[in-house]
Amino acid sequence: MSHSQTAPTDDALLVLFANGDPLAARELTRRLAPRALGVATRVLGDRAEAEDITQEVMMRLWRAAPEWQQGQAKVSTWLYRVVMNLCIDRKRRLKHGSVGIEDVPEPVDPALSAAEKLQEHSRWDALQAALMTLSDRQRQAVVLRHIEELSNPDIARIMDISVEAVESLTARGKRALAKALAGQREELGYG
Amino acid sequence: MADKDTDFTELDALLDLARQKEPDLPAGLEQSILADAAAVQAELQQHSRADARSVSRPWWAQVLSLFGGAPALGGLGVACAAGVWVGLAPPAFLPDPLQMFEQVQSSSDVDLFDTHDVVAFLVEE
Repeated sequence: MSHSQTAPTDDALLVLFANGDPLAARELTRRLAPRALGVATRVLGDRAEAEDITQEVMMRLWRAAPEWQQGQAKVSTWLYRVVMNLCIDRKRRLKHGSVGIEDVPEPVDPALSAAEKLQEHSRWDALQAALMTLSDRQRQAVVLRHIEELSNPDIARIMDISVEAVESLTARGKRALAKALAGQREELGYG
Repeated sequence: MADKDTDFTELDALLDLARQKEPDLPAGLEQSILADAAAVQAELQQHSRADARSVSRPWWAQVLSLFGGAPALGGLGVACAAGVWVGLAPPAFLPDPLQMFEQVQSSSDVDLFDTHDVVAFLVEE
């Protein structure tokens, strides 16, 4: 499927999927699964768990396809909401919370030199480590706002809280992130 | 998106870095997701075929299925035939229903009013 302006919406692809179109499944997977994987990885700090959640959320999407009400909810908003709920469930089950950030592989640009790759690695690690110091809700809000670039009303719908609560969580979360990273400017190549 | 506060400059650069790249979907995970999708699609197609079959059946076949299908209806027919047979040619130890019917008919001749008395009364008047 091409990425022209006439590319079908996620809603339309779900209808095609429910009608048996195998290409619709492939396109929805290409569009949505990396997003689910990225956000779950950032929120959980555990790549293996994030992959499980990605498969689970996509399975729920396939099952929801025949009953999907077009135009009632954005597929991506629904996806993020399910990912967040699954992440909360996972965190509850993991007694000791997060897993080490060394379990999170970074998508480093292969065109970079060895030194640049090393620095990009250390920046990814530092950001993930700082994210893991936030509370679960702060981390979810910061990831959705500042990495996934969702709007505050969308985040409010996903997290089932008010827009004001989202603003508060993201502001406090970002301050906490800055504080956690403050001493690492030179190490990260920003000195 | 970026805050104007200079204290956040490095953080914004880091968040920019995180935004630039979505994680690659591992090939194994992608295959598992697509296999799940194919399984769900096959299930959906099976359901829709079954629905289509039930809609395209003639009315008498749908009524037949209400009674449990041909085997159930066959059983019902045999039970009815057995009932009629027992009614027409009952076993020796059962009373003959035809005789019972005749008895009921003759018992209907009972004179509820004593008509002789009524006629005698009217004649006297």
